[in-house]
Amino acid sequence: MRQLFLVIASIFSVLSVVFAFLPLGTLALIPVGVALIFGFLAHKKSDTKQAKWVKVVLFISILSFFFVVGKEFLTKDEVEVDQQFDAKKVESKKEAQKELEGLE
Amino acid sequence: MKKFLLIFCFALSSNGGFSQIKSGEKLVFAASYNMSGLMTQLAQVTMETETMKTSKNTFLHLSCQAATYSKWDSFFKIRDLYESYVNPTTLKPSLYKRNIFEGGFTKTEKYIFKSDGRTVASTSKRKNNPETNRTFTVGNSTQDIVTLIYKLRTVDFQNFKKDQIKSLALVFDEKEIPVVVKFMGKETLSVGNLGTKECYKIAIGAKTQVLKGKDKNIIWLTADTKKIPALIKFSIPVGTGQLTLSNASGI
Repeated sequence: MRQLFLVIASIFSVLSVVFAFLPLGTLALIPVGVALIFGFLAHKKSDTKQAKWVKVVLFISILSFFFVVGKEFLTKDEVEVDQQFDAKKVESKKEAQKELEGLE
Repeated sequence: MKKFLLIFCFALSSNGGFSQIKSGEKLVFAASYNMSGLMTQLAQVTMETETMKTSKNTFLHLSCQAATYSKWDSFFKIRDLYESYVNPTTLKPSLYKRNIFEGGFTKTEKYIFKSDGRTVASTSKRKNNPETNRTFTVGNSTQDIVTLIYKLRTVDFQNFKKDQIKSLALVFDEKEIPVVVKFMGKETLSVGNLGTKECYKIAIGAKTQVLKGKDKNIIWLTADTKKIPALIKFSIPVGTGQLTLSNASGI
């Protein structure tokens, strides 16, 4: 059972790191949560000698947690200035002006 | 993003009334999508109005833009532009334009509303497909999606009773879509920079695959003369989401 918990925790801790770097916002907390739960379960079932890898997994998961939460609070959602899109809007307006003149 | 906009517009209704929409208005919304139970902000939706003058007429230019936040751009970039040119008093549309870019997919559409009020000449082009031209007829009160968004705000919900229904029609993707708007009462909400306001709660139903569930697509409009869209919740086949007003100016 300890092995199973450890495998699941390890897989999800890797996913935590991947999700943390993707722009998935708080969604990245899902693998973090799973990794932490199974990490703690594995830790409970481990004796002192077996706990090393479990601690690594837990450390990665906790680090991912703080990274995700920090990113969520410190990164502002903003739309990049898009010159191509701005040009498209201007062009569209010019075309519309011609169309509307033609309709009259 | 087209779904966000479609839902947005489904709230809408026309009572043939007069415009309360001012030129120079700007409404900014944060669009969120429910990912595994967590609302994740994806994009910014901006609705603006401005006056457009031609040699003989004055139009009100209604535009609705959707753009993903920069952190999403490298994964799924959205730059959508929906525009309508309407009579500033009656909000009757003359020209509708749609230009979408969604994760590499592009589509442009243009509808010219003929003066008889029933005929629409459309031009459409999808990515890697040739341009197509069509002429089709719609109902007298059928309008484009952008105009409908604004027309909703001319409806006098003050006189609506709870569960009162209004039937409408919308032209989208060169199809006429019947829409049902149901007044569900009033609720108090936080409305971006406008503070806390009492809002009309309106459910939208449409005979289309885009919307899912009964009374699950809801728009809240401020219960004042401006009827500013404060919050829109939607349910579509692939999930749920919402548009939240973050800033309103020029109202």
